Amino acid sequence: MSAATPQAGLAELIRLRGIIVCVGSGGVGKTTTAAALGLEAARRGRRVLVLTIDPARRLANALGLQSFGNEVRRIELPDAAEGGELHACMLDTQATFDDLVHRLAPDDETRRAIFGNRIYRVVSDNFAGSQEYMATERLYDVHCSGEYDLIVLDTPPVKNALDFIEAPGRLARFVDRQIVKWFLTPYDEKRVFGRVLVGTSGVVFRLLGMIFGREFLDELSGFFQAFRELMDGFHDRHAAVTRLFADPGTAFLVVTAPNEPSVDVASFFHDELRARNLPLAGFVLNQVHRCHDGELSAPELLRERAAALAVDLPAHTAPSLLARLDVAHKRLRSVVHEERPFVDRVNAMASAGYFVVDVPLLDRPIRDMRGLRDLSARLFPDPPAAAP
Amino acid sequence: MSSCLGRLLSSRLLFVTGKGGTGKTTLALAFARAAAGQGRRVCLAEVDNQRPSLTEYYDFQPGFQPVAVSPRLAITNITWFEALEEWLGRFVPVQRVVRLILGNRMVRLFLDVTPGSREVVTFARLMQLLEAYDLVVVDLPASGHAISFFRVFSGAASLFPAGPVRRTMDEALLRIARDDTQLVLCALPEEMVVNETIETWQKLRAVIPELAMPLVVLNQGMQPVLTPHEHSLLERLAQDLGHGSHQAQQGPELELVRAGHWEAEREQATGLAEQRLQDETDMELLVAPLMGATGGAGTRVRRMEALLLRSWARSSIRQGGL
Repeated sequence: MSAATPQAGLAELIRLRGIIVCVGSGGVGKTTTAAALGLEAARRGRRVLVLTIDPARRLANALGLQSFGNEVRRIELPDAAEGGELHACMLDTQATFDDLVHRLAPDDETRRAIFGNRIYRVVSDNFAGSQEYMATERLYDVHCSGEYDLIVLDTPPVKNALDFIEAPGRLARFVDRQIVKWFLTPYDEKRVFGRVLVGTSGVVFRLLGMIFGREFLDELSGFFQAFRELMDGFHDRHAAVTRLFADPGTAFLVVTAPNEPSVDVASFFHDELRARNLPLAGFVLNQVHRCHDGELSAPELLRERAAALAVDLPAHTAPSLLARLDVAHKRLRSVVHEERPFVDRVNAMASAGYFVVDVPLLDRPIRDMRGLRDLSARLFPDPPAAAP
Repeated sequence: MSSCLGRLLSSRLLFVTGKGGTGKTTLALAFARAAAGQGRRVCLAEVDNQRPSLTEYYDFQPGFQPVAVSPRLAITNITWFEALEEWLGRFVPVQRVVRLILGNRMVRLFLDVTPGSREVVTFARLMQLLEAYDLVVVDLPASGHAISFFRVFSGAASLFPAGPVRRTMDEALLRIARDDTQLVLCALPEEMVVNETIETWQKLRAVIPELAMPLVVLNQGMQPVLTPHEHSLLERLAQDLGHGSHQAQQGPELELVRAGHWEAEREQATGLAEQRLQDETDMELLVAPLMGATGGAGTRVRRMEALLLRSWARSSIRQGGL
């Protein structure tokens, strides 16, 4: 992408791409950034879905909604261009998982067996990574529906940055053909050899039974037996999602803030996305503090003005406020200095042809549509390019 | 305020969690150092962190075996595979068999994906560390994961009616229910962070009511210093200089007013966060002042440690004086 400015690079993304995946650590404004991208794309005439998996309901907050379930909500935009629509959806992991099983199961009996299995309940609700897996599942689903020109995916905050990319694979492994076959073999063999388990797998299996308890293994075996029917469907979809991530119509956007933990995560994503040949487009660097870099003396610069404005206030008000302003400015400067190395690190990562859009800390935290529009105005300062 | 600090510093198992970026690791390390300073033998544990955050404070990466960083403080990273190996070794005394089990690719996949197996072996390791140390401070992963961590011991137990997994889970529950096991939450004066902190507190209480959560630390808070008169003068100055309008004159005067606004905004956010955390949870609140300023990670930890000790001293004087 050869855009003149970073902002133009970002504008090109929301104009041309079909999927934008926002990744990054927690607390860097990922959700609000995703919402602002969606908002702007819709205003510029695209049909957009912002998909979030946020347990803290931040997107709902930012979009001025109380909350929304798994269903898609349309958000009214009075100033959207012709054809532009903004939709939002908050993912319900359990419902998405149930839905998937429902569709992939060949018959009612399999469905009942799976829904009634205790392992399934724990795995679908609680499994490390099932949120991430279901987010990609849902993404694939809405992508295939063809109802949207652009889907912006807000990924969950992750413990280890890898989880988002790895988790779908990890869960897919859980229903891996081989592991399922291996686990079912002793049970199939039971019928042939009576209660005698044979081979290494038999020995190991007995030990696992001893450690985890026979009941657990029985339940697990029941789970696998029922799941066997769905396996091909699962694997096909997992492969399709993986292809979709690598597609040039997709873009990854790393969202970060100028502090050590978030920049570490950003740099980790930068490396991982490159190593996996996934289409990294650029960085959004949020919450950057700015100030005049130099000594300022409030008593010198503001004494007369403050005195004139403070005639009706107690005598010490002006000098005391001016002293506070000095302190505040010093403090702000030191914060700006502290952030400098992290801003530099992000810019260094971007030298390889990615853009960095940096966003100064907004005066107010984003808690409604107005805040979202402020952010969107910072991200997209230029009017949309005229249609060719 | 913070009469619970004495109890926290004399607890045996102390979990620290919070939303990412709130300063969990700083707080955990500050607690560990403060307790070590009181003469206790302390181990600070990270849980299977692939990118250990303690490396920011010590220039090496802690491994499974605790390493002493000062006479009474050791640090460790509870890597799950080593924890599993150790745990299996207790039930399968023959090393060769443990290796046979763990050497099997299918078993590794199975253990990797089986709900609860990570948490169970991690907790087993924590209990083992408790035999060698007076206090184990656990720097838990960010709040969402902390909830899943504890849910294993209350929710998944029904899957394992018997066997060593079940026994370890039962032992863990007993340990969690003791009043010398406690959890501290870490928050920032930002609306979203406060939301998540309150939600985490609610969920943990529902998931594991046995766990004591006496304290939330509001990091990077700013105590109000501007009087109402100073506030109104600041607003007048801002208006006079055209702040917020498009015709605002750029210049050093406006820079000063902007800095004042920035600080006032943080003061206000701190007040709001304090109020919500006090109204919506029953945790005691400790506000840690803005740590920005000079110095790196080490300075932050020392300042946090000093704050904990100071607040503890203040609360014990108050209690003694009653």
